[in-house]
Amino acid sequence: MTWLVWRLHRTQLYIAAALLAALTILLLVTGLQMASQYHSALAACGASHSCATLASTLFLGSHAVGFLVIMTLGVPALFGLFWGAPLVASELETGTSQFAWMQSVTRKRWLAVTAGEMLLAAAAWGGAVSALVTWWSGPDNALQLDQFKPGRFDIMGIVPVGYALFAMALGLCAGALLRRSVPALAVTLAGFIVVRAVVTIWLRPHYLSAITVTYKLFSPFTPTGSYWQLAQGIRNPAGQLVPAANGLAIDGIPVGSLPAACAAAADGVRPTASCRQALGAFHGFITYQPANRYWAFQGIEFGIFAALAALLIAVTAVVVLRRDV
Amino acid sequence: MIEVQAVPEAAAAIRTSGLGKRYRRVCALSDCTITVPEGRISALIGPNGAGKTTLLRLLAGLTRPTNGELTVNGGIPRQEPAFLASIGFLAQEIPLYRRLSAEDHIGAGAHLNPRWDGESVRERLTALTIPLDRAVGTLSGGQRSQVALALTLAKRPRLLLLDEPVAALDPLARRNFLAILADAVAAGGLTVVLSSHLVADAERVCDHIIMLAASRVQLCGDIEELLAEHQLLVGPRKDTSAIERDHRVVQVTRTPRQVTMFVRRCGPVIDPAFQASDVSLEEVVLAYMGQDAPPARAQLNSIGDNQ
Repeated sequence: MTWLVWRLHRTQLYIAAALLAALTILLLVTGLQMASQYHSALAACGASHSCATLASTLFLGSHAVGFLVIMTLGVPALFGLFWGAPLVASELETGTSQFAWMQSVTRKRWLAVTAGEMLLAAAAWGGAVSALVTWWSGPDNALQLDQFKPGRFDIMGIVPVGYALFAMALGLCAGALLRRSVPALAVTLAGFIVVRAVVTIWLRPHYLSAITVTYKLFSPFTPTGSYWQLAQGIRNPAGQLVPAANGLAIDGIPVGSLPAACAAAADGVRPTASCRQALGAFHGFITYQPANRYWAFQGIEFGIFAALAALLIAVTAVVVLRRDV
Repeated sequence: MIEVQAVPEAAAAIRTSGLGKRYRRVCALSDCTITVPEGRISALIGPNGAGKTTLLRLLAGLTRPTNGELTVNGGIPRQEPAFLASIGFLAQEIPLYRRLSAEDHIGAGAHLNPRWDGESVRERLTALTIPLDRAVGTLSGGQRSQVALALTLAKRPRLLLLDEPVAALDPLARRNFLAILADAVAAGGLTVVLSSHLVADAERVCDHIIMLAASRVQLCGDIEELLAEHQLLVGPRKDTSAIERDHRVVQVTRTPRQVTMFVRRCGPVIDPAFQASDVSLEEVVLAYMGQDAPPARAQLNSIGDNQ
């Protein structure tokens, strides 16, 4: 079976290998440059005691490569589109299933080996791309502390492997159900985007209950490390959310929401002592997922997508084994 | 309707009873009861859409029946390597991987089958000057057919199911292929069912026939026996009820002066008013096919046996 899988899909695997090799070279070269750039900047700011502002003054690497790295968000979908969707669909579409399924190999074994090996390949490639991106982003993560944020979280660590498995399984399942490659391709792409968006927007923030910290306006609180901020704002003494400052504001409170004692300050006069005191009753809050939950979140998200993949594979198996040809 | 031949259980390569297949609302095959003894080449004859492909797929285990029973090579078609190894099936659409060469297919077969004679494929294709190393998608339809047939034979099955195998072949290739089939069956251990809508193919090599029309079996049995049983009776226009009582009248054509009857005899026809003549396989097939079509002019063409 493996022989046939390899013979049928080796071109795709060669292409994938070539693309991966190109990406590896590009990220290795630029990654090493970025690392040395970061370390020399760190040494320089250490000498001048200005490292606190380094994140806003230093830009690592180039925009083009940075954009390419962000684009690896789409890599898992490619496995679903080019490997998963046609895997069963093209066999049914061209009738070659009648060749494959009439050899002395049961359909169960045919599916297990074909799907299993291609899933493994997708996981390996997804893992390799993710490992490269994770390594490449090391200095940037240390500088910007943003690897927990959506868009960055999704291209590093183990979640890309989960996405790759899910995309493959989705493609397989769509292909087995629709029996034609092109519609299966469309369904795979749409399904992948929808599921990823739903999980990112509505599920991920709630994997573990978020931490909310309330602080005085004159001593703002910033969590340590690469935390993921879910919400931040200011509440007035009545506990109502103050609208975000847009234009003239004192301590982040827009003019319209200022207490009466600060009426003069709204006209640009320095806040009086009574205004300061009234502002003391306002407080800020931040809701976030702390940095130390990063790997827990990676694990949970991987688990969700791996479970979805398993479910889709089970559906595929039922469809393929029961299908009349 | 069909006399099932009294064949000992062990000697039947195929035995079905009341076999039927429905696809949603459409009935592709119904109440199919046939027996094909081992070592035969059976022609599966019928008009387009008669259910030939459905029957072959049921026998190959690619499709599961809606009702009825079937045994193939002594067992129920199932997903099991030993059963799959005993069946060779070639679909009408010649399923081959278009980007792969014949040599690739030989390699695949070698990895997927316990008994595999890849050398026989190479020999046959070389003799036919079909390139082994070119993608089969670039070969002509007839060449692809030859590749697929050679691959199906290389599996060394006990039962070979071929759906319109010679449709894409030129007359010479057709003759050669049928000769190869006949040789393979003569060597023993092989039973063949091949579908066709050409009776000429069947006459050349087949010794058994299954005739389907309108998703039902019209006829099934040994060709020589069937030819011996059927006769064309031509006589004056008179009462034919005596003949209808003693024999099975398949088809009757009445003109003002004479009556022509196609009968399946039960014993000799003794009425001297009728002139009996032997029939060809084609005539038998056409007579049974006509049965299922609604008669164009009812007074001239009545249906002999309402099944």
